[in-house]
Amino acid sequence: MTTSTTARTAEAIELTGIGKRFPGVVANHDVDITIHTGTIHALVGENGAGKSTLMKILYGVQRPDDGTIRVDGQDVSLSTPADAIARGIGMVFQHFMLADNLTVLENITLGAEKLHGIGDDARTEILAISRRYGFGLDPDELVESLGVGERQRVEILKVLYRGARIIILDEPTAVLVPQEVDALFANLRELKDQGHTLIFISHKLDEVLAVADDITVMRRGTTVASVKPGDVTARQLAELMVGSELPSPSTEESTVTDRVLLEVEGLELRDAAGRPELTDIGFEIHAGEILGIAGVEGNGQAELVETLIGMRQPVAGTVRLGERDISGWSTRERRAAGIGYIPEDRQRHGLLLDAPLWENRILGHQTRPPAVKAGGWLDVGGARTDSERIVGQYDVRTPGIDTTARALSGGNQQKFIVGREMSGDPILLMASHPTRGVDVGAQAQIWDHIKQARRQGLAVLLISADLDELIGLSDTIRVLLRGRLVGTFDPQHVTPSELGSAMTGADSGADSGSGDDA
Amino acid sequence: MSTAVTAPPPVEAPAERRSRGLRFGLYLAGGFVVLCLVRVITGADELTSSGTLAVTLTATMPIAMAGLGGLWSERAGVVNIGLEGMMIMGTLGAGYFGFHYGVIAGIVGAVLLGVAGAGLHALATVVFGIDHIVSGVAINIIALGVSGFLAEAWFSDLEGGGPTQSPPLPTPFEINIDAISGPANTLEGKHWFLISDLASVVEMFTKNLSSLVVFALALFFVTQWVLWRTRFGLRLRSCGEAPAAAESLGINVYRYKIIAVLISGGLAGLGGALLSMVSSSGFQVGQTNNRGYIGLAAMIFGNWRPSGLFMGSALFGYTQALPFRQGTVSVHALLLLVALLLVAIGVVQLLRKRRVQAIGAFAFGVLFLLWYLVTDIVPRDFTTMAPYITTLLVLALASQRLRMPAADGQVYRKGSAG
Repeated sequence: MTTSTTARTAEAIELTGIGKRFPGVVANHDVDITIHTGTIHALVGENGAGKSTLMKILYGVQRPDDGTIRVDGQDVSLSTPADAIARGIGMVFQHFMLADNLTVLENITLGAEKLHGIGDDARTEILAISRRYGFGLDPDELVESLGVGERQRVEILKVLYRGARIIILDEPTAVLVPQEVDALFANLRELKDQGHTLIFISHKLDEVLAVADDITVMRRGTTVASVKPGDVTARQLAELMVGSELPSPSTEESTVTDRVLLEVEGLELRDAAGRPELTDIGFEIHAGEILGIAGVEGNGQAELVETLIGMRQPVAGTVRLGERDISGWSTRERRAAGIGYIPEDRQRHGLLLDAPLWENRILGHQTRPPAVKAGGWLDVGGARTDSERIVGQYDVRTPGIDTTARALSGGNQQKFIVGREMSGDPILLMASHPTRGVDVGAQAQIWDHIKQARRQGLAVLLISADLDELIGLSDTIRVLLRGRLVGTFDPQHVTPSELGSAMTGADSGADSGSGDDA
Repeated sequence: MSTAVTAPPPVEAPAERRSRGLRFGLYLAGGFVVLCLVRVITGADELTSSGTLAVTLTATMPIAMAGLGGLWSERAGVVNIGLEGMMIMGTLGAGYFGFHYGVIAGIVGAVLLGVAGAGLHALATVVFGIDHIVSGVAINIIALGVSGFLAEAWFSDLEGGGPTQSPPLPTPFEINIDAISGPANTLEGKHWFLISDLASVVEMFTKNLSSLVVFALALFFVTQWVLWRTRFGLRLRSCGEAPAAAESLGINVYRYKIIAVLISGGLAGLGGALLSMVSSSGFQVGQTNNRGYIGLAAMIFGNWRPSGLFMGSALFGYTQALPFRQGTVSVHALLLLVALLLVAIGVVQLLRKRRVQAIGAFAFGVLFLLWYLVTDIVPRDFTTMAPYITTLLVLALASQRLRMPAADGQVYRKGSAG
């Protein structure tokens, strides 16, 4: 604390006129940012706005073409991460850079063995840092056994161990559940109080407003505004990011019919050790209805969706799609019967990242036209034509359908999946966190597509951690808590805080539901 | 027991990791006791005779060296199926340098030729990013051709040599402690349960024990220490687990991978030296007889750990040695041992609630037991094959939770960090 009074007045980092060009793309131009020592500085912008490139420049991974970087008032040239580390800059990558089969200690000391060795001295030092900031890490545990939040703390500790005072966090909350986000923010504030400077990249605006001292907005490669969190609302910030008026997720007039399309009764699921994961799940979705499932992550949402699509076998219960009992059906039969599925983790379950888009179009439709002809032969022409249709109709921004899925941004990957899952005339669409990790522009488009599905008379099961999204899109909201459906809410009348308390089980009267009197 | 079963093992606690050495010792001791029991029951004294054990040791070490080479390379993330080829290079090097310049030069030459083969593999896989399997197989083919060609060129005109073999080679210094091995031999002759068997073990280590075998055994401890206790080892392993993470921390991934592959080749070359200077009297074309692959299998069986890899190699070595020691009777006794082992595995698998493996183990166990009971000897033609079949069965049915290095076999390109 002794240094903080003098430090607060100084500028930790000044970036002036930074520009970076890749062949055919201008990633950054005329970027000006000033970051004060001992503050949390948020950098917000859509995917592709140039935030990550800028941070890679600051961490020495990329070299800028123009502009100057000043760290603690001195002009510096950072050509490798080692230079940045030497200047006290550390970076926590969005995708963790950890070796699962090594211990916390080994991961942290790796590459910095000269500081305290790899033995007891290092262990003492790690424990000391862990205690100072309340990280609660055991140096001898394997990283494999750690949760996402703990892994992130290992990453931060790794940076602190190397003596960093300026810490860049690239979308640190993208992978965290709400409680972990709170814990992270507590850690960040603690770090700030001890005089560290934090740069926080995000596009979750509520979080940015909650934790940042200063906010810089980036759009199309350059900085467009610097604001204080007290002066703006999340909506204004989002408009700065997109550069135009934003659509909201809210639905139009109800299209709910009385025709039941999905009927689930008494569904029970157990894990390998026989512990219940889902208990007595029962609900109906009508044609033209969006049923939203709220809940803190890990309360059975993923299990519910995987059971409905047939990836996991329940021990009891029936599932009816339209008139048919599909309880014993395989995943392929269920999909062919008209279930579209937008998986939670699009990179692991939704796409073959290294395959071109038109091959990805065939996934999940491998027995059906237009991608496959009778007799099981691929219809390459049909698949390509239909991929072109999806790219056009769903505004997937890609150079072409021969581009690999990996090359697309998250939002465009997701739009392609939505388009694919809406092909083949589904009657039920299951969307698991459809806009997670997607920028604001793509988010609005995906909302539009879900609303359109509802207008076309599909039944939609929407699972999301974004309460505004749930409230805005759903016709009915059910809350999942410890594998049980505990409450029914009418989104017209419920507030996020009411939902929040039902999700944590704090609301004892959740079962009565607030929507009954609507 | 029930608590151990219901708790799914996500990861063992540090305490359990520390006891790994202890567990290894227990397995070894337990297996040995069962072996003694079988010897007493069947009366097939060759099962644990000092002669059998000595042959086992010389059969084990080349496999173990290949496996250890595989361990080094795969811990750094490079699959080295070219071990066989590097081993061939080792036998050739031992043959040429050993004949012309003596024992030490033979060993060094074997190691260097192994390293040369590994250099090719490192260049192909690490620098050029060629698929590890493709490169490894190519090296095996090249080594086979080169050894055949050079053997003919080097050894054809030498006395005692020929187009496919070198003249007899000098043998490395052998350790003999008669004061101990003599009494041990007497004790062994009594055929007492466990005591005579232990005497055989003592005799194995005190009579005609090759110094090269001792050196090779020491390399296991060196490997364990270097890979898990030093900064160099940590960096090397990190390249096999998460090369991008290692690079983001300023580690030169290529360098560590290349070093690891070179060491791997050196160890395989040493295995070749063991084959042509200790296990037999000279170099022969085709001498390795796929031991490089068997070493790789032993390493996988050993879960990419030195102790497990040694156990796997010993299993292969023992079953290779047995047919040469009154094969028809000994291998027949082995049937009972295998039956007991399979039943034991069956019980363990049942406790772990792996029903399929348990049923398989029991079924084969009963089959082997029946076979043992209704016959007196194993046909001679079968004796050389039986070891492989039994080993295969044990490996397949004892299936454990194997954990290979996370980035093993993946081509890593520089600049993938961030």
